[in-house]
Amino acid sequence: MSPHGETLTVPGTPTVVTDPGSGPAARSTSAGTTTRRRRARWAPYLFVGPAGLLFLAFSLVPIVIAVALSFQDTATLGDGAWVGADNYRTMLSDPLLRTALLNTLVFTVGTVPTAMAIGLALAVALNRPLPGRGLLRALFFVPMVAAGVVVGVIMSWIFNPDYGVANNALRAVGLDGLPWLTSPRTAMMTLVLVVVWTRIGFCMVIYLGALQSIPSELREAAAIDGASRWQRFRRLTVPMLAPTTSILLILNVVFSLQAFDVIYVMTGGGPGFSTTVLIQYVFRSAFGDARMGYAAALGLLLVLILLVFTLLRQRATKKAEELL
Amino acid sequence: MPTHAAEIGSPAVRSLSRRSFLAVAGISVAGALAACSGAPTGTKHLRLSSWNIPLDLETYQALADEFVAAHPGTSVAVEVTTGQFHQWFITRLAADLAPDIIRITPQQIGRYAANGSLVDLTGAVPAEYQDDWSEPFWAIGAKADGLFGVFQHTDNFITYYDKRVIEQIGVDVPQTLDEAWRWDEFLEIAREAQRITGRYGFGYGWSGPETAYRWMPLVYQNGGAFLGEDGETPSMDTDAAVGALDFGRRWYADGLVSPANMSKSGGGAVGRDLFTTGQTGLLLDNPEAIAALDEARPGEWGTTYMIRNGGEASDLGGNALAVTRSSKHPELAAELVAFLTSRTNVAEFCRQGNWLPARSSLDAADIGYERHEATMQQFIDQAATIPLSMVRAQSGPYFSSLNSVFADYLDLCFLGELTAAECGAQMTEAMRSVTTR
Repeated sequence: MSPHGETLTVPGTPTVVTDPGSGPAARSTSAGTTTRRRRARWAPYLFVGPAGLLFLAFSLVPIVIAVALSFQDTATLGDGAWVGADNYRTMLSDPLLRTALLNTLVFTVGTVPTAMAIGLALAVALNRPLPGRGLLRALFFVPMVAAGVVVGVIMSWIFNPDYGVANNALRAVGLDGLPWLTSPRTAMMTLVLVVVWTRIGFCMVIYLGALQSIPSELREAAAIDGASRWQRFRRLTVPMLAPTTSILLILNVVFSLQAFDVIYVMTGGGPGFSTTVLIQYVFRSAFGDARMGYAAALGLLLVLILLVFTLLRQRATKKAEELL
Repeated sequence: MPTHAAEIGSPAVRSLSRRSFLAVAGISVAGALAACSGAPTGTKHLRLSSWNIPLDLETYQALADEFVAAHPGTSVAVEVTTGQFHQWFITRLAADLAPDIIRITPQQIGRYAANGSLVDLTGAVPAEYQDDWSEPFWAIGAKADGLFGVFQHTDNFITYYDKRVIEQIGVDVPQTLDEAWRWDEFLEIAREAQRITGRYGFGYGWSGPETAYRWMPLVYQNGGAFLGEDGETPSMDTDAAVGALDFGRRWYADGLVSPANMSKSGGGAVGRDLFTTGQTGLLLDNPEAIAALDEARPGEWGTTYMIRNGGEASDLGGNALAVTRSSKHPELAAELVAFLTSRTNVAEFCRQGNWLPARSSLDAADIGYERHEATMQQFIDQAATIPLSMVRAQSGPYFSSLNSVFADYLDLCFLGELTAAECGAQMTEAMRSVTTR
């Protein structure tokens, strides 16, 4: 019931007017009530309408167009020739796609658990009363709000083997500089490092919120029962954070699968193909190689991977919640 | 007397206010939509898009204003080509919102000339224009089925040197094209330069993956070609091409060039940065380096011709002007292209922006560069060494895609992941998958 004594309704369900007044006075207002009821019926649609239109225009329609495009051979948008499932058949024998998928897996496995683990550690540390805690939280979050291109350009300078800060620091302590971005063996590691740095603030903030929602009575009760600090963290805090971890996992995997700007600016997918991930390959196929149809098919593969991962994760989370 | 708050809060006023708001909003949206629709106003409006180089934008606008003054009822706006060119252009073509005229590189023009995105300018550009362009430069826009652009200016490579380093080495600098350093001479000088700088011998003027093609002249200097005479058959596995790859590989194996100075995995104009900061003694680059050198090291550098081996070649830089299929006034747009590429206007554009003219009859004195006239004349002389076969291959329909292949494999070869022969074979195979697509 709303604070004004009206029952909020959803379309298709009976409306019960629970006006506190009754008798002739109430009957005299029946026309107004009907108008209000009609408005109330349309209200939900009006609220979701703008969002629905945006979703239709910028998500659903482009997806439908992408599906149609994936069955065409075209160098530009809009005038392709239908080629059936040729683009999907090409994917099966494309060695660069295999490389891109493998790189995507390495990049995702490298970034997601690391960012989440460091984010959790920072959240636990900054959940305690510390001097300058607010400032530290803000500082860790800053990289998340910086534009990816800006991060990429700055990091390219930092990791430049000739005049970058990273190698100058190593040389200052008597170590050899590293070929951070100029060797196929180290470029992916450097990208993982940069992306983890940008993402730990986000993980930290989400974990901080979740930590503060855990009732302190539970921790106190566990402490009274003789649980050590590690046991309280392992057996109480971590399970209580499971839903948050689940959401963070999905979000981070999505972020990793969509990581484009930093990689594009820092390595362009190189050296060679060593940092070419799937989203890079989609872009390259579309605009570098002028294969719009093939790029659309690759894009749908990316959507499929995200979909499968999300479903698997949802099932796992549901099971975990049942066990709790 | 009602309070102000009561007036605002009364239902009548609230209702009126809401209606007024909706009316104003409706009129505004309708106005905005009408403006976007480009409703005919009687004026023929053209849009010209150029790279974001402030001086060039100003010069284009000044020249366009002259054109408009001579063509009553027209207007021309100069815009900036933003972000990644292909992404920008393809999406605007799809929306039929591409500018009327685009400034486009020789490496980009072939794809769009072949897929019908550019307008045939045959007949719209004066016939005598062709006489003032070298065959290679005219071939950038002239295809078998029409003229799809007019090359406006170029900016090829020559060799910059650090005067102090060259003095210490004690070597004579070539004064004519015939005296240009051969590969083995150049490597010898570069080793000495490396010894003097304590870092690297020389730098190369790449500035990102999209400029991988800038290395291709080396293949032609060695008597090779990356596409066969038919313009379609990949030929990076020939002895000449593999020899060129091996030459490039030695730059890095011998530590003469920084591994960060690479087309794809490098961090921008690294070669130029290293030369400007005295960490290399030589630099193979285009005229764009001059401004940075004048600022950082005035009077400390000189120039000579591009290196050579069995043959001569230099990078095919520069831009053409083309009319897009989105143009609502293609005849007028073609007329503007002809106006901008007239002898007077090419000279003016090159003088203002320090570019090299596409027209053969213009030399440095005709243009009247404010500074470094001798160096600019070296660049102009060097432009004559750009081979026709390389121009045809680079401005062909496949080149935008082939350039990605070059970027991938040059990285792998030069960083020692592939031998020159392996690189030549794998690159040829990857190129074949593009040309037979």
